[in-house]
Amino acid sequence: MGTGAGRITNEIRTLRFHQGEMTQQELANRIGVTRQTINAIEGNKYSPSLEVAFRIARVFGVPLEQVFHFAED
Amino acid sequence: MGLSFQEKSLWVMFVGLAAAFGFYFATVLPPLAPNVMPEQVVTFVLAVAFLIVTQIVGNIVIAVVDRDTQTDERDRLIALVGSRNGGYVLATGVFLALCTALLTNGNFLFMHVLLAFWVLAQLVEIGSRLYLYRRGV
Repeated sequence: MGTGAGRITNEIRTLRFHQGEMTQQELANRIGVTRQTINAIEGNKYSPSLEVAFRIARVFGVPLEQVFHFAED
Repeated sequence: MGLSFQEKSLWVMFVGLAAAFGFYFATVLPPLAPNVMPEQVVTFVLAVAFLIVTQIVGNIVIAVVDRDTQTDERDRLIALVGSRNGGYVLATGVFLALCTALLTNGNFLFMHVLLAFWVLAQLVEIGSRLYLYRRGV
């Protein structure tokens, strides 16, 4: 297991597009966070908790690893 | 990205604090006597009253304009980091205030070093939160 710094990226914007262009607000409402938090996650400015990450994956009906990726620097 | 309710509320608090205590310190400094004088207490009460009124009015206006007052885990994390940063400043201020109490006569300097660092700690806490909302956490 690496110990270097890494970065979590995500496919939320793409997945929203494929879900009938779901808005950030709609996604936020379904998982119980604010629209600003969805915006921050999409912009890789905030890594959500595991609970929120699983909720996001569940909304899109895909496994967690299809939503989030971990890239080691 | 537009400002959230929390960010707007923090800006109101930041500006209110800076204005209220900027006015207060501009009025009472430099010290005229070793102890706090009654008129300085009146100025302090006026500054606190101004701060309370601006917070109430400001937050009512923000709540009317932006009805989404929901908070989540990101808000709580940002608040914790801001509180930690403010805590460092406050702890430093308490130490310096104690040194001031030991080294100077009267209560003016002790009171005002303590007050100044409390205000500074609040500004650092709020400023940190505003920065983290923009830069990310």
